[in-house]
Amino acid sequence: MSLFMTSLSILAASSFLMLVSARFKRFCGYIFLSSLVAACLAGLYSMIHILCSGTPVDFRPHWVWPLGEFYLGIDALSAFFLLLFFVLFLVAGIYGYGYLRNYAGKRSIAAHYFFYHLLAASIMLTLAAKNAVLFLIGWELMTVSAYFLIIFYDEKELVRKAGYVYLIATHTGTFCLFIMFLLMGSQTGSMNLDQMMSAQYSPQLTAFLFVLAIIGFGVKAGFIPLHIWLPHAHPAAPSHVSAILSGVVIKIGIYGLIRFISIVKDFPLWCGVLLLLIGAISGVGGVLYALGQHEIKKLLAYHSIENIGIITLGLGMGMMGQAFHQDTVAMIGYAGALLHVFNHAVFKGLLFLSAGSVIRATHTGEIDHLGGLLRTLPWTGHLFLIGSLSICGLPFFNGFISEWLVYQALWGGVFHFDILGIIFSCLGVAALALIGGLAAYCFAKAFGMIFLGKNRSKEESPYKESDYMLRGPMVGLAAICVWIGLFPAVMVSFSLKTAQTVTGIPVPAGLEKLILNPLLKAISVLFTAVIIFAVLVALRKFLLKARPVRETETWGCGYALPSARMQYTASSFAEPILRIFRTLLVFKVKTGKLKKHFPAETHLSSSVLDVSENMFFRPLLYWIRELSGRLNWIQSGSTQRYLLYILFFLLILLIWKLN
Amino acid sequence: MGPTISALMSILLHLSVILVFSPFILGVIGKTKAFFAGRWGPPVVQPYYDILKLLRKGSVYSTMTTWIFRAAPMIAMAAILAAGILMPFAGLKAPIQFWGDVVLFAYLFGLARFFMVLAALDTGSSFEGMGASREMTFSCLSEVALFLNFTVLALISKSLSLSGLIGGDVSLLWHVLGPALTLVVISFFLILLCENSRIPVDDPATHLELTMIHEVMVLDHSGVDFAYILYGNAVKLFILGSFLISIILPFKTQNVFMDTAVYLSGMTGLAVVIGVIESAMARLRLNRVPYLLISAVILAVFAFIITLVRGGF
Repeated sequence: MSLFMTSLSILAASSFLMLVSARFKRFCGYIFLSSLVAACLAGLYSMIHILCSGTPVDFRPHWVWPLGEFYLGIDALSAFFLLLFFVLFLVAGIYGYGYLRNYAGKRSIAAHYFFYHLLAASIMLTLAAKNAVLFLIGWELMTVSAYFLIIFYDEKELVRKAGYVYLIATHTGTFCLFIMFLLMGSQTGSMNLDQMMSAQYSPQLTAFLFVLAIIGFGVKAGFIPLHIWLPHAHPAAPSHVSAILSGVVIKIGIYGLIRFISIVKDFPLWCGVLLLLIGAISGVGGVLYALGQHEIKKLLAYHSIENIGIITLGLGMGMMGQAFHQDTVAMIGYAGALLHVFNHAVFKGLLFLSAGSVIRATHTGEIDHLGGLLRTLPWTGHLFLIGSLSICGLPFFNGFISEWLVYQALWGGVFHFDILGIIFSCLGVAALALIGGLAAYCFAKAFGMIFLGKNRSKEESPYKESDYMLRGPMVGLAAICVWIGLFPAVMVSFSLKTAQTVTGIPVPAGLEKLILNPLLKAISVLFTAVIIFAVLVALRKFLLKARPVRETETWGCGYALPSARMQYTASSFAEPILRIFRTLLVFKVKTGKLKKHFPAETHLSSSVLDVSENMFFRPLLYWIRELSGRLNWIQSGSTQRYLLYILFFLLILLIWKLN
Repeated sequence: MGPTISALMSILLHLSVILVFSPFILGVIGKTKAFFAGRWGPPVVQPYYDILKLLRKGSVYSTMTTWIFRAAPMIAMAAILAAGILMPFAGLKAPIQFWGDVVLFAYLFGLARFFMVLAALDTGSSFEGMGASREMTFSCLSEVALFLNFTVLALISKSLSLSGLIGGDVSLLWHVLGPALTLVVISFFLILLCENSRIPVDDPATHLELTMIHEVMVLDHSGVDFAYILYGNAVKLFILGSFLISIILPFKTQNVFMDTAVYLSGMTGLAVVIGVIESAMARLRLNRVPYLLISAVILAVFAFIITLVRGGF
């Protein structure tokens, strides 16, 4: 715990130091980098220590204030999320330092650094809070500091708008959290999470609290249809901030939900089913929207929603397992969800950072303007490929391991639940299979269109590859992807230990072996595949030694003058699947009509509209604005009148209470 | 060292069985099609000749391509062969089997497909991009059907490994769950046609690039690489076919030769059926293919419902 507190105080102290010394740019950067590395390494060490030993620690200086108390504690659940937070903050911070050097003197980088550290400190506070008020303080600080990080390019109107959408959406969620925690606190008479845990909740209250938690945490996590801020905020922010948003900030929503589940145990079956359905909808919906995107970071943002869907599928299976008293299924479900939380943070971080590296080099994120970058940006390209393979859940990489666990949980449901449970588990299997297929489709598109073929906008593309400051963090994340993919034992055991804190039941004996043995056999199959591959390579080399090998142009099927613009584009690549799902998506194609007999210049554009944003929230907010416009006369602006309102309100409360 | 060596030997044996027998299926399909067209047709061993001929040729590469284009056929073939290790054939047990190997099986095919699609996009040709896009579209749908079929079989056999799904007492289950298994067989057959780009999903013998799916993706491959691709496709057909045959003909006599004979005649029969379909049917219009795959999904769902009702859950 002392290391954790050290890390927290390093961040807090250095953030203010940077604000004071903002004038000395170089000095400020050094402080940022050194404090970041020191804090993250200290934090990483202590988290690994806690996860290995499995003993929770806490810090309670008895600093009490009305309703709240400064009370921190780290159990396996907090430690697991803190672990991924430290990993991602470290690499994204180093990347950010390298990335922002280009802006030295042009923008207030010190302020950015300040908010970066503030965000780090507030996330640490949120994850370690053992008191609901402290949790909410951390939560709010996190929201606000993330807002300032998102609006880094604040001269652009789109960026400012994205910031507002984010701020409003998350505050709507926070509103639900306030009600939720107040209800729980009034039930237990304390705002400490420990006491809340030992309290009893009536079934109606449990149901109500659950809905509030889903909305409150779901906005942050990005459940469909509450996800609308994500696709705006992620592309607006600088890439390292997008990586943090997608890797850590939305995961805090998941953390909150899991923490809530572990506090209010005894959920009825429908809660698990609801979570499973949300997972299926978010997963399939997220990846379908992603397929319709032409901008790389927006595409990645929708993929975050997809992965939140996979995580939620695992959580749903965990809750259903608990409702059916099938501890093994519950354990695997939670462990799968947790491991996917970690894996997603790693590979999505990698993808966002390499997308940032593409944007830094080419100054565009439009997929249809790019192409052939694997040759000019080899590091970025290959790292993006590793990220793509991981996110598709393909074997050899980490996504496979966690998707495997989620499949195991779903099939565990098929084997051990009653008929209703079997039906929903089977639905989950179908959803996850569809998600897997569509994700592969989407990343074949993203990688293929950006890095393969020929550049679509310029003939010559003298792009400059990122330097080691940007490359290093990406290589680190890619190494973690491969490490978990081939040696999953450590992370699987960590996630099982964490799942144990969620269910409150110790891991059944032999469960870890039961999970790891098949995985090890799977990996032995993969090694066989590598050997077969090596044999095939050797055979090819041997056969081609004495044969002519020529290089020529791509076969154009007889057409003599192909141009780079004639290549298949991302939009046309994704069109067949979007057409199949057109009843679910609003798929718009705009084209100019040809009026004359001979072909003339024309245009065609296609886009996929977000249904929940355009068909639900936009009209809803419109009506809210109309309605509140009518009530405008209440808001006169004079303080005396507001005091009068308060007086009346208190009087009414008094009368109500006396009756 | 004993068990390791024997495990290695069984893997080698398994791989050689797959490699030796798989082009044969293609040969039988070709022969059947020729018979229906009133021709004598190429010999059954023609696919072997084709592969051998290609292996002895040089290669031509597009200047636009990267290492992905060159490596993809080998990655695909290695992944497909590795998937083959998980599949039992007649009397031959799968050398490696474990709880949940169906996921690895499906995802190894996914890996192969992913790299073949990347190789197609690597050429920058719009024809190959078109083929790649269609391949991905159809595979998304067929993957759902595949996993649903696995789930139904898992419910029936209480197992989650390929060997368990189709080994054991499937023959007994035909009495109880015959309707469900029939639907699974039909659904799986549709998946097999799609995954192996056969008519009515794709026409492997078409000559117009615009209408192709799989063939257009490999337009630029030649020589050894193309041999690997052809061979890999044959292996894939062989593996998926044997899965199907093991469900349809689950008889186990104690005699190894009898089992092998039943299995081989089943595989030949399957090839003939595919050949007959290719001769008797036209290719579906591209926008009709999804309906076919969705019907595979729906058949699997029906099988699931029947299993739930009859299986007494």
